[in-house]
Amino acid sequence: MSDAAQSLAGQEEVRYRALQAVDPRAPGALETFTAGLHDESWRVRHAAAEGLRRLPDAERVTARLISVLGERGETGARNAAAEALAGMGTVALHPLVLLLEHEDPDQRKLAADILGQLGRAEVEDVLLRALSDVDLNVRVSAAEALGRTGGEAAVRALEALLDAETSLLRLAALEGLVALRRAPATERVMALVDAPLLQRSALRLLGLCPPGASTERICQALASPVRSVREAALVALGTQASGLGPYARSELDAVARAVLSRIPEMTDRVAQALDVEDVQVRAGALVAAGALGEASLALAVAEVAREDRLLREVLFTLGQLGPEGRRLLLKNMGALSLPARTVAAEALVLLVDATSVPELCALLEWAEDDLRAVVVRALGRTRSPQALAPLVALLADPSLSGTAVRALEQLIAVHPLAALAALEAAVEQRTTPAAVAVLGRLGGAQVLPLLRRLARDADAPWRAAAVEAASRVSGDAGLELARGALADESAPVRIAAVRALGRQGGQEAGSFLGLALKDEDRAVRLAAVEAVGAGGATERALDLEALVRHADGALAVLAVRALAKLGKVGSGMLWDALGHPDTEVVKAALAALTAAEGAADGAALAVSLVGHPRWDVRAAAARVLGDLGRPECLPVLEQALSVEHDALARRALVDAVARLSGR
Amino acid sequence: MPRFDEGRPEMTLEEFRLLRDHVYAHCGILIHEDMKFVMERRLWPRLEALGLADFGAYHRYLRYDAQRIAELEAAVESLTTHETYFFREPAQLKAFCEELLPLLEKKNARTRRLRLWSAGCSSGEEAYTVAMLLKDSGRFDDWDVEVHGTDLSRRVLAVARRAEYGPSALRATPPDLLERFFVPVGVNRVRVRDDVKAWVSFGHHNLADEAASQLVPRTDVVFCRNVMIYFDQAARRRVLGVIRDRLCPGGYLLLGHAENLLSLGADFELVHLKGDLVYRRPELPNGEGR
Ligand SMILES: C[S@@+](CC[C@H](N)C(=O)[O-])C[C@H]1O[C@@H](n2cnc3c(N)ncnc32)[C@H](O)[C@@H]1O
Repeated sequence: MSDAAQSLAGQEEVRYRALQAVDPRAPGALETFTAGLHDESWRVRHAAAEGLRRLPDAERVTARLISVLGERGETGARNAAAEALAGMGTVALHPLVLLLEHEDPDQRKLAADILGQLGRAEVEDVLLRALSDVDLNVRVSAAEALGRTGGEAAVRALEALLDAETSLLRLAALEGLVALRRAPATERVMALVDAPLLQRSALRLLGLCPPGASTERICQALASPVRSVREAALVALGTQASGLGPYARSELDAVARAVLSRIPEMTDRVAQALDVEDVQVRAGALVAAGALGEASLALAVAEVAREDRLLREVLFTLGQLGPEGRRLLLKNMGALSLPARTVAAEALVLLVDATSVPELCALLEWAEDDLRAVVVRALGRTRSPQALAPLVALLADPSLSGTAVRALEQLIAVHPLAALAALEAAVEQRTTPAAVAVLGRLGGAQVLPLLRRLARDADAPWRAAAVEAASRVSGDAGLELARGALADESAPVRIAAVRALGRQGGQEAGSFLGLALKDEDRAVRLAAVEAVGAGGATERALDLEALVRHADGALAVLAVRALAKLGKVGSGMLWDALGHPDTEVVKAALAALTAAEGAADGAALAVSLVGHPRWDVRAAAARVLGDLGRPECLPVLEQALSVEHDALARRALVDAVARLSGR
Repeated sequence: MPRFDEGRPEMTLEEFRLLRDHVYAHCGILIHEDMKFVMERRLWPRLEALGLADFGAYHRYLRYDAQRIAELEAAVESLTTHETYFFREPAQLKAFCEELLPLLEKKNARTRRLRLWSAGCSSGEEAYTVAMLLKDSGRFDDWDVEVHGTDLSRRVLAVARRAEYGPSALRATPPDLLERFFVPVGVNRVRVRDDVKAWVSFGHHNLADEAASQLVPRTDVVFCRNVMIYFDQAARRRVLGVIRDRLCPGGYLLLGHAENLLSLGADFELVHLKGDLVYRRPELPNGEGR
């Protein structure tokens, strides 16, 4: 920067800071800021406009700002004053309405503009009247303003303006209706698409019309040599598709395909549009790409996933590009950006078949962890025996073994024998204890000797896996191994035993679980609480009730849930839970309440929580009260609703009130 | 066509908000309500990996499990977009080279030391880009230079350290710079040259963690581009406090082109370069705080 420029910038900085330092209550502040509105730098003017909004006497400020609007020739100052007025809120309404009567049409126009920015329904009448102003510019501004305030009368007036003589007014009407998202009858809009000045706005409005003839017209506009027209058409196409949701689109897609496939170079144009800045254009380009079903667009489509908001559409569109598109994606995974790669893999999961195994395995070699998880799922869906070996090998990878197990389950259903052999081999070679779990599920009684042997293994993870697996194979063997494992020195083995006991159920298991509830290890105790609930060990209810008061929220939550499962929800424990400092415990108790009718005065308990400081607790309380169906709670709910600010809690309250009042 | 979400648990609005609040408290990232779908998809793999039945269970896991801290990191990891590439926003980089670098050369002529910070560096492209530009300017050849890249995500840091990139990362790299600063490694992939790497270091840092920011060295320029878009006003304010604290007086802050400090910038002054607007931490009157 040159020295002169630097020093100018420096002076600007000084003026900017000086304005920021002005005390809004100091005498003369109004004049200082007003002078600032006339500064040559937009930054200073902006600071002045902000400052004016902070002044105490809003009416005086408004009056002063209105007078600045009258200073012809001071464009910067007038714009800054308009900006400030638009930020003043209701106090500015009346003076602006008066200004709409000013003899100078330029002033009236500004008034309409600012009223539009204020966007308040109460000036709708005034703006409607301004539609008959003698000055065209005022009428146009009023129409634009109505597009921002719009109630029903505004919509009707704008629709009527679609037949206005001047295209400027028609344009303002179109834009207003687009802003209000209100489409008139399709034919009326279609009639405007051919006028060059109106075309873009009319296309966008067509996007709000029901699909059908409108879709056809929109797609024809994609043949336009003018880029901005094509983009408006894409926005419209995207709007129509989003109104339908991905799964109700087949008709729209068919219409689009019929038109688009006849337009030369359509694929290239769509590819270009997939890369533009504007999100709405890209959304429309996705619809076009999907309708075309052009596989060569797969990479460009996947790249749109860099925009989170379009994720859903990207996934859907990739699905429309068929096996050819899929092959292209698989082959070019390495060239895609990270977000694109992730959705590409997601889309592949749906499309893979038995021939995809080698490519998927190649991906496993280098891809990032979260991507590999997707690939693992895809392997499961191939239904190919070739996928067995890689999946069994993945059982050894702690971050993927859970996913691999589920993928294997899919394959086991189709290739049980081959799966059994692969798993046995993995266990023999001590690949990973995770293989034992799957083997237990699959192998039946024949693998019990192997499991018994492993339950005495030197390595704790193998012992744990064997104990859990045995409980899935046989009740007796499971109980026997679990009992021994409960005395194991390793906590993970004891946890496995506890889970096995929960699965087993019955009195004997229940008494063992009593011991586990007092285990020295927190994780074992947590598992035991869950197991008591799962195994129906009602005789342990008292132990659980004690845990409800435990300071560890995790234990208390699980205890409440387990008691609910056991059907042992008493009012004493509920009061304890509702008083717990951890709100998750409180919510668990509320969830248990409905099951507790009779055992406790559930309604009174829930009522005590409709004023809780946390929105999620209030919402849960309202839901319970709705479920309990006690009309006497209605007044409390109505009262709570009248003061509720949180959207979700409100919804729950509205719902509960409706149910209790039989609406 | 099969649905891509068959058989997976849906996320209720309530679960969405609980999870969102949890993430926000951890790192200031605000996930907008219309991103529920995205959150659901990104977290499904986590449920699967943990064997959890629904998002309620996942929320409890994040609250109570012994692994909750690691899991929260994994969740945030999958929720954030790490989109980045070399020589992103060329107009700003041009202004940086042509206008800021001469100023910095003059300002630090005595110490011959330059520190830059790429805050929210993702997989490292931005930090390496800055180092390449410094090299390319020829002004700092025998200076003590360090570009420090930090990110919340440990996974992207691993990529950054490896310094190997494919075509998508290079899509805006001018061919002559590609030639000069990268070496090919296999089909379609390149590695950043060692002399550039020698100027760049990486570390884990949550910008929302004010205490941890002490670990970041005092710097002359902070690039924090396309990071604050994820934060709300309050979180942004806190992060700006952290950045200001780590900037030397008179040091510069460069934001992404869609970001600005309107109504937040009292601690910074706006500097109009010919080619860009940047922010500067004001100089202290008598050099204190250096
Ligand atoms: C879109 S990338 C921007 C990368 C690079 N600065 C650029 O502009 O190309 C945003 C990065 O910010 C990181 N990020 C988000 N929240 C963060 C936080 N609280 N602390 C540190 N990094 C964070 C994300 O992990 C992600 O890698």
